[in-house]
Amino acid sequence: MYLSRLILTHFKNYSSQTVHFSEGVNGIVGPNGMGKTNLLDAVYYLCMSKSRFSVSDRLLIQHEADFFRLEGHFLREGKPEKVVAKVAKGRKKEIERDDAPYERISEHVGRYPVVMIAPDDIQLALEGSEERRRFIDNTLSQIDAQYLTQLIQYNHILRQRNAYLKQVAEWHQSPDESLLTTYDRQLLAPSDFLLEARKSFIARFIPIFQAHYGAISGNQEQVVCHLRSQLLERPLSEWLMDLREKDRLLQRTNAGIHKDDLEFLIDDYPVKQFASQGQLKSFVLAMKLAQYELLQHETGQYPILLLDDLFAKLDRHRVEHLMTWIVERSFGQVLISDTELDRLSAVVRAKTADCRFFEVNKGTISTPNNPITQQPN
Amino acid sequence: MNYSSKLIEEAVQAFATLPSIGKKTALRLVLHLVKMEPELTERLGEALLNMRKHIQFCQNCHHLSDGPQCQICADPRRDRSLVCVVEGIRDVMAIEETGQYKGLYHVLGGVISPLEGVGPESLQVDSLVNRVDSGEVKELIMAVSPTIEGETTIFYLSKQLSAYPVRISTIARGVSFGGELEYADELTLARSITARIPYKSE
Ligand SMILES: Nc1ncnc2c1ncn2[C@@H]1O[C@H](COP(=O)(O)OP(=O)(O)OP(=O)(O)O)[C@@H](O)[C@H]1O
Ligand SMILES: [Mg+2]
Ligand SMILES: [Zn+2]
Repeated sequence: MYLSRLILTHFKNYSSQTVHFSEGVNGIVGPNGMGKTNLLDAVYYLCMSKSRFSVSDRLLIQHEADFFRLEGHFLREGKPEKVVAKVAKGRKKEIERDDAPYERISEHVGRYPVVMIAPDDIQLALEGSEERRRFIDNTLSQIDAQYLTQLIQYNHILRQRNAYLKQVAEWHQSPDESLLTTYDRQLLAPSDFLLEARKSFIARFIPIFQAHYGAISGNQEQVVCHLRSQLLERPLSEWLMDLREKDRLLQRTNAGIHKDDLEFLIDDYPVKQFASQGQLKSFVLAMKLAQYELLQHETGQYPILLLDDLFAKLDRHRVEHLMTWIVERSFGQVLISDTELDRLSAVVRAKTADCRFFEVNKGTISTPNNPITQQPN
Repeated sequence: MNYSSKLIEEAVQAFATLPSIGKKTALRLVLHLVKMEPELTERLGEALLNMRKHIQFCQNCHHLSDGPQCQICADPRRDRSLVCVVEGIRDVMAIEETGQYKGLYHVLGGVISPLEGVGPESLQVDSLVNRVDSGEVKELIMAVSPTIEGETTIFYLSKQLSAYPVRISTIARGVSFGGELEYADELTLARSITARIPYKSE
Protein backbone atom coordinates (compact mmCIF):
# COMPACT_ATOMS: atom_id res chain seq x y z
CA MET A 1 0.00 0.00 0.00
CA TYR A 2 1.33 3.44 -0.88
CA LEU A 3 0.13 6.94 -1.66
CA SER A 4 0.58 7.68 -5.34
CA ARG A 5 -1.15 11.02 -5.62
CA LEU A 6 -2.11 13.67 -3.09
CA ILE A 7 -4.31 16.68 -3.76
CA LEU A 8 -4.33 19.41 -1.13
CA THR A 9 -6.86 22.23 -1.06
CA HIS A 10 -6.62 25.05 1.50
CA PHE A 11 -4.59 22.83 3.81
CA LYS A 12 -2.26 24.96 5.96
CA ASN A 13 -0.10 26.97 3.54
CA TYR A 14 -1.18 24.93 0.48
CA SER A 15 -3.91 26.60 -1.61
CA SER A 16 -4.20 24.02 -4.30
CA GLN A 17 -1.52 21.46 -5.02
CA THR A 18 -1.20 18.02 -6.56
CA VAL A 19 1.79 15.79 -5.78
CA HIS A 20 2.74 12.52 -7.47
CA PHE A 21 4.75 10.41 -5.06
CA SER A 22 7.14 7.58 -5.75
CA GLU A 23 6.45 4.16 -4.25
CA GLY A 24 9.93 4.28 -2.72
CA VAL A 25 11.73 7.19 -1.11
CA ASN A 26 10.44 10.74 -1.55
CA GLY A 27 12.69 13.61 -0.55
CA ILE A 28 10.91 16.84 0.36
CA VAL A 29 13.29 19.80 0.45
CA GLY A 30 13.01 23.52 1.00
CA PRO A 31 14.05 26.30 3.40
CA ASN A 32 12.42 26.79 6.80
CA GLY A 33 8.73 27.60 6.91
CA MET A 34 7.95 26.56 3.32
CA GLY A 35 5.53 23.72 4.07
CA LYS A 36 7.55 20.49 4.36
CA THR A 37 6.09 19.47 7.70
CA ASN A 38 2.64 20.51 6.52
CA LEU A 39 2.93 18.16 3.56
CA LEU A 40 3.92 15.22 5.75
CA ASP A 41 1.11 16.07 8.13
CA ALA A 42 -1.37 15.97 5.23
CA VAL A 43 -0.28 12.39 4.52
CA TYR A 44 -0.52 11.54 8.21
CA TYR A 45 -3.99 13.05 8.31
CA LEU A 46 -5.25 10.87 5.47
CA CYS A 47 -4.01 7.77 7.29
CA MET A 48 -5.04 8.60 10.86
CA SER A 49 -7.93 11.02 10.22
CA LYS A 50 -6.20 13.56 12.40
CA SER A 51 -3.12 15.74 12.45
CA ARG A 52 0.08 14.57 14.06
CA PHE A 53 0.69 18.07 15.44
CA SER A 54 -2.57 19.94 15.92
CA VAL A 55 -5.46 18.79 18.09
CA SER A 56 -7.80 21.20 16.37
CA ASP A 57 -8.83 20.50 12.78
CA ARG A 58 -9.83 24.12 12.33
CA LEU A 59 -6.25 25.30 12.67
CA LEU A 60 -5.36 23.22 9.63
CA ILE A 61 -7.64 25.28 7.40
CA GLN A 62 -5.67 27.81 5.38
CA HIS A 63 -5.97 31.35 6.75
CA GLU A 64 -8.89 33.18 5.10
CA ALA A 65 -10.42 29.92 3.80
CA ASP A 66 -13.53 28.15 5.13
CA PHE A 67 -12.53 24.54 4.58
CA PHE A 68 -9.73 22.20 3.68
CA ARG A 69 -9.85 19.07 1.61
CA LEU A 70 -7.29 16.31 1.20
CA GLU A 71 -7.63 13.72 -1.51
CA GLY A 72 -5.31 10.73 -1.46
CA HIS A 73 -5.03 8.13 -4.18
CA PHE A 74 -3.52 5.00 -2.71
CA LEU A 75 -2.51 1.84 -4.50
CA ARG A 76 -2.92 -1.46 -2.67
CA GLU A 77 -1.51 -4.39 -4.58
CA GLY A 78 -2.17 -2.47 -7.78
CA LYS A 79 -5.76 -1.60 -6.92
CA PRO A 80 -6.65 2.09 -6.46
CA GLU A 81 -8.26 3.37 -3.26
CA LYS A 82 -9.34 6.94 -2.80
CA VAL A 83 -9.45 8.61 0.59
CA VAL A 84 -10.93 12.08 1.05
CA ALA A 85 -10.87 14.18 4.22
CA LYS A 86 -13.04 17.28 4.38
CA VAL A 87 -13.12 19.77 7.20
CA ALA A 88 -15.31 22.87 6.92
CA LYS A 89 -15.93 25.50 9.57
CA GLY A 90 -19.11 24.76 11.48
CA ARG A 91 -19.49 21.26 10.00
CA LYS A 92 -18.65 17.78 11.18
CA LYS A 93 -15.51 16.47 9.58
CA GLU A 94 -15.96 13.85 6.92
CA ILE A 95 -13.72 11.02 5.86
CA GLU A 96 -14.62 9.04 2.77
CA ARG A 97 -13.11 5.95 1.27
CA ASP A 98 -13.94 5.31 -2.36
CA ASP A 99 -16.65 7.97 -2.14
CA ALA A 100 -18.43 6.33 0.81
CA PRO A 101 -18.31 8.37 4.01
CA TYR A 102 -17.47 6.47 7.19
CA GLU A 103 -20.24 6.37 9.76
CA ARG A 104 -17.66 6.38 12.48
CA ILE A 105 -14.34 7.94 11.61
CA SER A 106 -12.52 5.57 13.96
CA GLU A 107 -13.25 2.78 11.46
CA HIS A 108 -10.72 4.36 9.12
CA VAL A 109 -7.77 4.01 11.47
CA GLY A 110 -5.50 1.05 10.77
CA ARG A 111 -6.27 0.60 7.12
CA TYR A 112 -3.33 2.80 6.10
CA PRO A 113 -0.72 2.25 8.79
CA VAL A 114 1.66 5.17 9.25
CA VAL A 115 4.60 6.12 11.45
CA MET A 116 5.95 9.63 11.73
CA ILE A 117 9.39 10.34 13.12
CA ALA A 118 9.69 14.01 14.01
CA PRO A 119 12.03 16.20 16.05
CA ASP A 120 9.53 16.49 18.89
CA ASP A 121 9.58 12.72 19.47
CA ILE A 122 12.07 13.46 22.22
CA GLN A 123 9.01 14.32 24.32
CA LEU A 124 8.38 10.59 24.51
CA ALA A 125 11.34 10.39 26.83
CA LEU A 126 11.12 13.70 28.62
CA GLU A 127 7.46 14.64 28.99
CA GLY A 128 4.77 13.27 31.27
CA SER A 129 3.01 9.95 30.94
CA GLU A 130 0.47 11.20 28.42
CA GLU A 131 2.96 11.15 25.53
CA ARG A 132 3.85 7.54 26.20
CA ARG A 133 0.22 6.47 26.61
CA ARG A 134 -0.49 8.13 23.29
CA PHE A 135 2.36 6.15 21.77
CA ILE A 136 0.84 2.86 22.95
CA ASP A 137 -2.67 3.93 21.95
CA ASN A 138 -1.54 5.10 18.53
CA THR A 139 0.23 1.81 17.84
CA LEU A 140 -2.50 -0.46 19.13
CA SER A 141 -5.28 1.51 17.43
CA GLN A 142 -3.64 0.86 14.10
CA ILE A 143 -3.31 -2.85 14.84
CA ASP A 144 -6.65 -3.61 16.45
CA ALA A 145 -9.87 -1.74 15.61
CA GLN A 146 -11.41 -3.11 18.79
CA TYR A 147 -8.73 -1.35 20.84
CA LEU A 148 -9.68 2.05 19.50
CA THR A 149 -13.39 1.39 20.03
CA GLN A 150 -12.80 0.35 23.64
CA LEU A 151 -10.52 3.33 24.23
CA ILE A 152 -13.13 5.75 22.91
CA GLN A 153 -15.75 4.14 25.16
CA TYR A 154 -13.52 4.24 28.21
CA ASN A 155 -12.64 7.89 27.68
CA HIS A 156 -16.25 8.79 27.09
CA ILE A 157 -17.47 7.16 30.32
CA LEU A 158 -14.57 8.77 32.17
CA ARG A 159 -15.52 12.20 30.83
CA GLN A 160 -19.10 11.67 31.98
CA ARG A 161 -17.95 10.58 35.43
CA ASN A 162 -15.65 13.59 35.76
CA ALA A 163 -18.32 15.96 34.47
CA TYR A 164 -20.67 14.60 37.10
CA LEU A 165 -18.12 15.08 39.89
CA LYS A 166 -17.62 18.66 38.72
CA GLN A 167 -21.30 19.35 38.43
CA VAL A 168 -22.21 18.22 41.94
CA ALA A 169 -19.28 20.15 43.37
CA GLU A 170 -20.44 23.31 41.62
CA TRP A 171 -23.93 22.84 43.03
CA HIS A 172 -22.50 22.07 46.49
CA GLN A 173 -24.23 18.72 46.52
CA SER A 174 -22.83 15.39 47.48
CA PRO A 175 -22.71 12.96 44.58
CA ASP A 176 -25.37 10.32 44.09
CA GLU A 177 -23.43 7.23 45.11
CA SER A 178 -25.40 4.92 42.90
CA LEU A 179 -24.65 7.01 39.82
CA LEU A 180 -20.93 6.83 40.63
CA THR A 181 -21.28 3.08 41.09
CA THR A 182 -22.96 2.99 37.70
CA TYR A 183 -20.01 4.72 36.05
CA ASP A 184 -17.53 2.54 37.96
CA ARG A 185 -19.20 -0.54 36.64
CA GLN A 186 -19.34 0.78 33.10
CA LEU A 187 -15.62 1.46 33.16
CA LEU A 188 -14.74 -2.14 34.07
CA ALA A 189 -15.17 -3.88 30.73
CA PRO A 190 -13.23 -1.43 28.57
CA SER A 191 -10.63 -1.05 31.31
CA ASP A 192 -10.00 -4.81 31.46
CA PHE A 193 -9.73 -4.97 27.71
CA LEU A 194 -7.29 -2.07 27.45
CA LEU A 195 -5.11 -3.28 30.30
CA GLU A 196 -4.76 -6.75 28.80
CA ALA A 197 -4.03 -5.27 25.38
CA ARG A 198 -1.36 -2.99 26.81
CA LYS A 199 0.28 -5.78 28.81
CA SER A 200 0.53 -7.98 25.79
CA PHE A 201 1.72 -5.04 23.68
CA ILE A 202 4.66 -4.41 26.02
CA ALA A 203 5.63 -8.05 25.88
CA ARG A 204 5.73 -7.96 22.07
CA PHE A 205 7.35 -4.55 21.95
CA ILE A 206 10.29 -5.04 24.33
CA PRO A 207 12.42 -7.48 22.31
CA ILE A 208 12.07 -5.45 19.11
CA PHE A 209 12.83 -2.25 20.96
CA GLN A 210 15.90 -3.73 22.64
CA ALA A 211 17.25 -5.01 19.36
CA HIS A 212 16.93 -1.57 17.80
CA TYR A 213 18.43 0.21 20.74
CA GLY A 214 21.41 -2.10 20.69
CA ALA A 215 21.92 -1.66 16.97
CA ILE A 216 21.64 2.14 17.03
CA SER A 217 23.71 2.84 20.12
CA GLY A 218 26.21 0.06 19.56
CA ASN A 219 26.44 -0.01 23.34
CA GLN A 220 26.22 -2.77 25.85
CA GLU A 221 23.83 -1.12 28.30
CA GLN A 222 20.58 -2.88 29.08
CA VAL A 223 17.35 -1.08 28.27
CA VAL A 224 14.14 -2.42 29.71
CA CYS A 225 10.61 -1.14 29.75
CA HIS A 226 7.66 -1.82 32.07
CA LEU A 227 4.03 -0.96 32.04
CA ARG A 228 3.23 1.01 35.15
CA SER A 229 -0.41 0.72 36.05
CA GLN A 230 -2.31 1.00 39.31
CA LEU A 231 -4.36 -1.88 38.03
CA LEU A 232 -1.44 -4.27 38.21
CA GLU A 233 -1.62 -3.85 42.00
CA ARG A 234 -5.37 -4.04 42.61
CA PRO A 235 -8.49 -4.26 40.47
CA LEU A 236 -10.12 -1.07 39.26
CA SER A 237 -13.32 -1.61 41.25
CA GLU A 238 -11.35 -1.48 44.51
CA TRP A 239 -9.42 1.62 43.54
CA LEU A 240 -12.57 3.46 42.57
CA MET A 241 -14.28 2.50 45.81
CA ASP A 242 -11.34 3.56 47.96
CA LEU A 243 -10.66 6.82 46.15
CA ARG A 244 -14.23 8.05 46.01
CA GLU A 245 -13.66 10.71 48.65
CA LYS A 246 -10.54 11.94 46.85
CA ASP A 247 -12.41 11.92 43.53
CA ARG A 248 -15.13 14.04 45.08
CA LEU A 249 -12.64 16.56 46.44
CA LEU A 250 -10.52 16.81 43.30
CA GLN A 251 -13.55 16.56 41.01
CA ARG A 252 -11.96 13.94 38.80
CA THR A 253 -11.25 10.23 38.68
CA ASN A 254 -7.96 9.39 40.33
CA ALA A 255 -7.48 5.79 39.36
CA GLY A 256 -7.66 3.89 36.10
CA ILE A 257 -5.82 3.05 32.93
CA HIS A 258 -5.82 6.73 32.01
CA LYS A 259 -2.98 6.96 34.54
CA ASP A 260 -0.87 4.21 33.00
CA ASP A 261 2.70 4.94 32.04
CA LEU A 262 5.60 3.25 30.37
CA GLU A 263 8.77 3.23 32.40
CA PHE A 264 12.10 2.91 30.66
CA LEU A 265 15.29 2.02 32.44
CA ILE A 266 18.84 2.07 31.19
CA ASP A 267 20.96 -0.17 33.37
CA ASP A 268 18.30 0.04 36.08
CA TYR A 269 18.03 3.85 36.10
CA PRO A 270 15.09 5.83 34.68
CA VAL A 271 15.84 7.19 31.23
CA LYS A 272 14.13 10.49 31.93
CA GLN A 273 16.54 11.52 34.66
CA PHE A 274 19.70 9.62 33.89
CA ALA A 275 20.14 9.08 30.18
CA SER A 276 22.73 11.13 28.29
CA GLN A 277 21.75 13.22 25.27
CA GLY A 278 23.02 10.58 22.89
CA GLN A 279 21.32 7.78 24.77
CA LEU A 280 18.07 9.74 24.62
CA LYS A 281 18.33 10.12 20.86
CA SER A 282 19.03 6.42 20.38
CA PHE A 283 16.26 5.58 22.76
CA VAL A 284 13.62 7.64 20.96
CA LEU A 285 14.65 6.45 17.52
CA ALA A 286 14.59 2.84 18.73
CA MET A 287 11.05 3.34 20.00
CA LYS A 288 9.84 4.60 16.65
CA LEU A 289 11.60 1.93 14.62
CA ALA A 290 10.18 -0.72 16.94
CA GLN A 291 6.76 0.81 16.46
CA TYR A 292 7.21 0.58 12.70
CA GLU A 293 8.33 -3.00 12.83
CA LEU A 294 5.54 -4.08 15.14
CA LEU A 295 2.96 -2.42 12.90
CA GLN A 296 4.50 -4.08 9.90
CA HIS A 297 4.43 -7.55 11.46
CA GLU A 298 0.96 -7.27 12.86
CA THR A 299 -0.87 -5.47 10.06
CA GLY A 300 0.92 -7.42 7.37
CA GLN A 301 1.72 -4.26 5.41
CA TYR A 302 4.52 -1.76 5.29
CA PRO A 303 3.43 1.41 7.08
CA ILE A 304 4.08 4.69 5.31
CA LEU A 305 7.13 6.18 7.00
CA LEU A 306 7.26 9.94 7.44
CA LEU A 307 10.63 11.34 8.49
CA ASP A 308 10.32 15.00 9.30
CA ASP A 309 13.43 17.14 9.43
CA LEU A 310 15.81 14.24 9.08
CA PHE A 311 18.95 16.01 10.24
CA ALA A 312 17.41 18.17 12.97
CA LYS A 313 17.75 15.72 15.80
CA LEU A 314 19.78 12.93 14.24
CA ASP A 315 23.51 13.02 13.64
CA ARG A 316 25.18 11.48 10.57
CA HIS A 317 25.71 8.21 12.35
CA ARG A 318 22.04 7.75 13.27
CA VAL A 319 20.88 8.96 9.86
CA GLU A 320 23.16 6.39 8.29
CA HIS A 321 21.75 3.69 10.53
CA LEU A 322 18.21 4.74 9.68
CA MET A 323 18.80 4.75 5.93
CA THR A 324 20.44 1.34 6.05
CA TRP A 325 17.55 0.00 8.08
CA ILE A 326 15.08 1.38 5.57
CA VAL A 327 16.64 -0.09 2.45
CA GLU A 328 17.62 -3.41 4.00
CA ARG A 329 14.02 -4.41 4.43
CA SER A 330 12.51 -4.14 0.93
CA PHE A 331 10.82 -1.16 2.51
CA GLY A 332 7.48 0.52 1.99
CA GLN A 333 6.90 4.13 1.03
CA VAL A 334 9.03 6.77 2.76
CA LEU A 335 8.72 10.57 2.81
CA ILE A 336 11.74 12.44 4.14
CA SER A 337 12.00 16.17 4.64
CA ASP A 338 15.15 18.23 4.92
CA THR A 339 16.23 21.80 4.31
CA GLU A 340 18.99 20.94 1.83
CA LEU A 341 18.60 19.07 -1.41
CA ASP A 342 22.25 18.15 -1.82
CA ARG A 343 22.64 16.75 1.65
CA LEU A 344 19.45 14.71 1.47
CA SER A 345 19.94 13.50 -2.05
CA ALA A 346 23.50 12.34 -1.23
CA VAL A 347 22.24 10.29 1.72
CA VAL A 348 19.33 8.78 -0.17
CA ARG A 349 21.06 8.09 -3.49
CA ALA A 350 23.88 6.36 -1.68
CA LYS A 351 21.33 3.73 -0.67
CA THR A 352 18.69 3.50 -3.36
CA ALA A 353 17.84 4.67 -6.86
CA ASP A 354 14.17 4.25 -6.11
CA CYS A 355 13.62 7.88 -5.14
CA ARG A 356 12.05 11.14 -6.20
CA PHE A 357 12.71 14.67 -4.98
CA PHE A 358 10.40 17.63 -4.47
CA GLU A 359 11.13 21.25 -3.75
CA VAL A 360 8.72 23.13 -1.54
CA ASN A 361 8.45 26.87 -1.88
CA LYS A 362 5.73 28.69 0.10
CA GLY A 363 3.14 26.02 -0.40
CA THR A 364 4.06 25.24 -4.01
CA ILE A 365 5.75 22.02 -4.97
CA SER A 366 8.01 21.42 -7.94
CA THR A 367 10.47 18.76 -9.01
CA PRO A 368 14.04 20.03 -9.11
CA ASN A 369 15.81 20.46 -12.42
CA ASN A 370 17.98 17.49 -11.94
CA PRO A 371 18.61 15.10 -14.83
CA ILE A 372 18.71 11.98 -12.65
CA THR A 373 15.42 12.77 -10.96
CA GLN A 374 12.58 10.66 -12.28
CA GLN A 375 9.70 12.63 -13.68
CA PRO A 376 6.27 12.06 -12.16
CA ASN A 377 4.29 9.53 -14.12
CA MET B 1 -33.74 40.42 1.91
CA ASN B 2 -36.06 43.36 1.33
CA TYR B 3 -39.69 42.20 1.55
CA SER B 4 -41.16 45.70 0.95
CA SER B 5 -43.63 44.92 3.69
CA LYS B 6 -43.21 45.00 7.43
CA LEU B 7 -46.10 42.53 7.79
CA ILE B 8 -44.53 39.97 5.51
CA GLU B 9 -41.13 40.46 7.06
CA GLU B 10 -42.45 39.79 10.57
CA ALA B 11 -44.30 36.67 9.47
CA VAL B 12 -41.19 35.38 7.69
CA GLN B 13 -39.08 35.99 10.74
CA ALA B 14 -41.59 34.18 12.95
CA PHE B 15 -41.53 31.09 10.73
CA ALA B 16 -37.76 31.20 10.52
CA THR B 17 -37.44 30.73 14.30
CA LEU B 18 -38.68 27.15 13.79
CA PRO B 19 -36.17 24.32 13.44
CA SER B 20 -35.06 23.40 9.92
CA ILE B 21 -36.88 26.37 8.42
CA GLY B 22 -34.61 28.95 6.83
CA LYS B 23 -35.50 32.37 5.44
CA LYS B 24 -36.28 30.98 1.99
CA THR B 25 -38.66 28.29 3.18
CA ALA B 26 -40.26 30.78 5.56
CA LEU B 27 -40.96 33.17 2.69
CA ARG B 28 -42.46 30.37 0.62
CA LEU B 29 -44.82 29.47 3.46
CA VAL B 30 -45.83 33.07 4.02
CA LEU B 31 -46.52 33.68 0.33
CA HIS B 32 -48.55 30.51 0.29
CA LEU B 33 -50.67 31.76 3.18
CA VAL B 34 -51.25 35.03 1.35
CA LYS B 35 -52.63 33.12 -1.64
CA MET B 36 -54.88 30.90 0.48
CA GLU B 37 -58.39 31.77 1.72
CA PRO B 38 -58.08 33.91 4.87
CA GLU B 39 -60.15 31.36 6.87
CA LEU B 40 -57.48 28.71 6.36
CA THR B 41 -54.86 30.93 7.97
CA GLU B 42 -57.28 31.63 10.76
CA ARG B 43 -57.85 27.95 11.38
CA LEU B 44 -54.11 27.32 11.31
CA GLY B 45 -53.45 30.07 13.83
CA GLU B 46 -56.26 28.89 16.08
CA ALA B 47 -55.08 25.31 16.03
CA LEU B 48 -51.61 26.40 17.06
CA LEU B 49 -52.78 28.73 19.80
CA ASN B 50 -55.25 26.22 21.11
CA MET B 51 -52.71 23.45 21.16
CA ARG B 52 -50.13 25.55 22.93
CA LYS B 53 -52.58 26.85 25.50
CA HIS B 54 -54.09 23.52 26.47
CA ILE B 55 -51.46 20.88 25.94
CA GLN B 56 -50.27 19.22 29.15
CA PHE B 57 -48.04 16.41 30.26
CA CYS B 58 -49.65 13.28 31.63
CA GLN B 59 -49.25 13.12 35.40
CA ASN B 60 -48.70 9.40 35.23
CA CYS B 61 -46.33 8.85 32.29
CA HIS B 62 -45.32 12.42 31.24
CA HIS B 63 -46.42 11.89 27.67
CA LEU B 64 -48.28 14.68 25.87
CA SER B 65 -51.84 14.90 27.05
CA ASP B 66 -55.03 16.91 26.63
CA GLY B 67 -55.89 16.49 30.30
CA PRO B 68 -54.25 15.33 33.53
CA GLN B 69 -54.09 11.81 32.08
CA CYS B 70 -53.08 10.93 28.54
CA GLN B 71 -55.15 8.83 26.15
CA ILE B 72 -52.84 5.88 26.58
CA CYS B 73 -52.94 5.84 30.37
CA ALA B 74 -56.72 6.35 30.31
CA ASP B 75 -57.33 3.45 27.91
CA PRO B 76 -58.85 0.54 29.92
CA ARG B 77 -57.69 -2.04 27.32
CA ARG B 78 -54.03 -1.29 28.05
CA ASP B 79 -51.97 -3.68 30.16
CA ARG B 80 -51.13 -1.61 33.23
CA SER B 81 -48.59 -4.10 34.56
CA LEU B 82 -46.23 -3.45 31.65
CA VAL B 83 -44.39 -0.13 31.33
CA CYS B 84 -42.05 0.86 28.55
CA VAL B 85 -39.43 3.39 29.68
CA VAL B 86 -38.41 5.81 26.90
CA GLU B 87 -36.35 8.97 26.54
CA GLY B 88 -38.85 11.22 24.84
CA ILE B 89 -42.27 11.82 23.40
CA ARG B 90 -41.19 10.90 19.89
CA ASP B 91 -40.19 7.45 21.11
CA VAL B 92 -43.73 6.91 22.41
CA MET B 93 -45.05 7.91 19.02
CA ALA B 94 -42.64 5.62 17.18
CA ILE B 95 -43.62 2.63 19.31
CA GLU B 96 -47.33 3.45 19.08
CA GLU B 97 -46.91 3.56 15.32
CA THR B 98 -46.03 -0.16 15.34
CA GLY B 99 -49.49 -0.91 16.79
CA GLN B 100 -47.99 -3.94 18.54
CA TYR B 101 -47.40 -2.69 22.05
CA LYS B 102 -50.27 -2.85 24.55
CA GLY B 103 -48.66 -1.65 27.78
CA LEU B 104 -48.12 1.84 29.21
CA TYR B 105 -45.13 4.19 28.97
CA HIS B 106 -42.87 6.27 31.13
CA VAL B 107 -41.20 9.27 29.51
CA LEU B 108 -37.91 10.04 31.26
CA GLY B 109 -37.21 13.28 29.43
CA GLY B 110 -33.72 12.26 28.31
CA VAL B 111 -30.82 10.10 29.45
CA ILE B 112 -28.24 10.78 32.14
CA SER B 113 -25.43 12.84 30.63
CA PRO B 114 -23.55 15.21 32.96
CA LEU B 115 -21.52 16.41 29.95
CA GLU B 116 -24.74 17.96 28.70
CA GLY B 117 -25.80 19.05 32.17
CA VAL B 118 -28.34 16.25 32.57
CA GLY B 119 -28.10 14.52 35.94
CA PRO B 120 -30.59 12.00 37.35
CA GLU B 121 -32.48 14.77 39.16
CA SER B 122 -33.48 16.42 35.90
CA LEU B 123 -35.19 13.24 34.69
CA GLN B 124 -38.48 11.63 35.73
CA VAL B 125 -36.80 9.05 37.94
CA ASP B 126 -38.63 9.57 41.24
CA SER B 127 -42.02 9.34 39.59
CA LEU B 128 -40.98 6.04 38.00
CA VAL B 129 -39.97 4.68 41.39
CA ASN B 130 -43.34 5.84 42.75
CA ARG B 131 -45.20 4.06 39.97
CA VAL B 132 -43.33 0.86 40.75
CA ASP B 133 -43.86 1.42 44.46
CA SER B 134 -47.63 1.54 43.93
CA GLY B 135 -47.42 -2.16 43.07
CA GLU B 136 -49.24 -2.06 39.75
CA VAL B 137 -46.16 -2.50 37.57
CA LYS B 138 -44.76 -6.01 37.03
CA GLU B 139 -42.33 -5.39 34.21
CA LEU B 140 -40.33 -2.44 32.93
CA ILE B 141 -39.03 -2.47 29.36
CA MET B 142 -36.06 -0.16 29.03
CA ALA B 143 -36.29 1.22 25.51
CA VAL B 144 -33.62 3.90 25.64
CA SER B 145 -31.02 4.29 22.92
CA PRO B 146 -28.16 1.80 23.07
CA THR B 147 -25.49 4.39 23.77
CA ILE B 148 -23.17 4.75 26.73
CA GLU B 149 -25.60 7.26 28.24
CA GLY B 150 -28.49 4.87 27.64
CA GLU B 151 -26.60 2.13 29.46
CA THR B 152 -25.79 4.47 32.32
CA THR B 153 -29.47 5.33 32.63
CA ILE B 154 -30.65 1.71 32.57
CA PHE B 155 -28.12 0.61 35.16
CA TYR B 156 -28.87 3.58 37.37
CA LEU B 157 -32.62 2.95 37.21
CA SER B 158 -32.15 -0.72 37.97
CA LYS B 159 -30.21 0.27 41.09
CA GLN B 160 -32.98 2.63 42.19
CA LEU B 161 -35.47 -0.18 41.75
CA SER B 162 -33.45 -3.01 43.20
CA ALA B 163 -35.65 -3.19 46.30
CA TYR B 164 -38.77 -3.94 44.25
CA PRO B 165 -39.79 -7.26 42.74
CA VAL B 166 -40.25 -5.67 39.31
CA ARG B 167 -38.87 -7.45 36.22
CA ILE B 168 -36.57 -5.33 34.07
CA SER B 169 -35.87 -6.05 30.43
CA THR B 170 -34.15 -4.22 27.60
CA ILE B 171 -35.17 -4.14 23.99
CA ALA B 172 -33.17 -6.39 21.70
CA ARG B 173 -30.53 -4.44 19.85
CA GLY B 174 -31.90 -4.52 16.35
CA VAL B 175 -31.26 -0.83 16.44
CA SER B 176 -27.69 0.00 15.55
CA PHE B 177 -25.33 1.33 18.21
CA GLY B 178 -25.73 5.07 18.54
CA GLY B 179 -28.90 5.03 16.44
CA GLU B 180 -32.04 6.39 17.98
CA LEU B 181 -35.34 4.70 18.53
CA GLU B 182 -37.32 7.13 16.47
CA TYR B 183 -35.28 6.34 13.37
CA ALA B 184 -35.75 2.57 13.62
CA ASP B 185 -38.21 1.13 11.14
CA GLU B 186 -41.54 -0.13 12.51
CA LEU B 187 -40.90 -3.80 11.96
CA THR B 188 -37.51 -3.80 13.65
CA LEU B 189 -38.90 -1.79 16.53
CA ALA B 190 -41.90 -4.05 17.05
CA ARG B 191 -39.71 -7.13 16.90
CA SER B 192 -37.17 -5.70 19.32
CA ILE B 193 -39.91 -5.12 21.90
CA THR B 194 -41.35 -8.61 21.54
CA ALA B 195 -37.90 -10.17 21.68
CA ARG B 196 -36.83 -8.15 24.72
CA ILE B 197 -34.24 -9.68 26.97
CA PRO B 198 -34.09 -9.82 30.77
CA TYR B 199 -31.68 -7.24 32.16
CA LYS B 200 -29.01 -8.49 34.52
CA SER B 201 -27.38 -5.75 36.51
CA GLU B 202 -24.49 -7.73 37.99
N1 LIG C 1 -3.58 27.51 8.72
C1 LIG C 1 -2.57 28.01 8.00
N2 LIG C 1 -2.82 28.81 6.92
C2 LIG C 1 -1.82 29.31 6.19
N3 LIG C 1 -0.51 29.10 6.45
C3 LIG C 1 -0.20 28.33 7.50
C4 LIG C 1 -1.20 27.75 8.33
N4 LIG C 1 -0.60 27.03 9.30
C5 LIG C 1 0.72 27.17 9.09
N5 LIG C 1 0.97 27.94 8.03
C6 LIG C 1 2.27 28.32 7.48
O1 LIG C 1 2.99 27.19 7.14
C7 LIG C 1 4.37 27.48 7.29
C8 LIG C 1 5.06 26.40 8.06
O2 LIG C 1 5.10 25.27 7.29
P1 LIG C 1 5.91 24.00 7.79
O3 LIG C 1 5.84 23.85 9.25
O4 LIG C 1 5.46 22.89 6.95
O5 LIG C 1 7.38 24.47 7.38
P2 LIG C 1 8.64 23.57 7.13
O6 LIG C 1 8.91 23.61 5.68
O7 LIG C 1 8.46 22.26 7.75
O8 LIG C 1 9.74 24.43 7.89
P3 LIG C 1 10.95 23.96 8.84
O9 LIG C 1 12.06 23.62 7.95
O10 LIG C 1 11.23 25.19 9.63
O11 LIG C 1 10.46 22.83 9.68
C9 LIG C 1 4.49 28.78 8.04
O12 LIG C 1 4.94 29.75 7.16
C10 LIG C 1 3.10 29.05 8.50
O13 LIG C 1 2.82 30.41 8.50
MG1 LIG D 1 9.20 21.42 9.55
ZN1 LIG E 1 -49.94 8.81 30.43
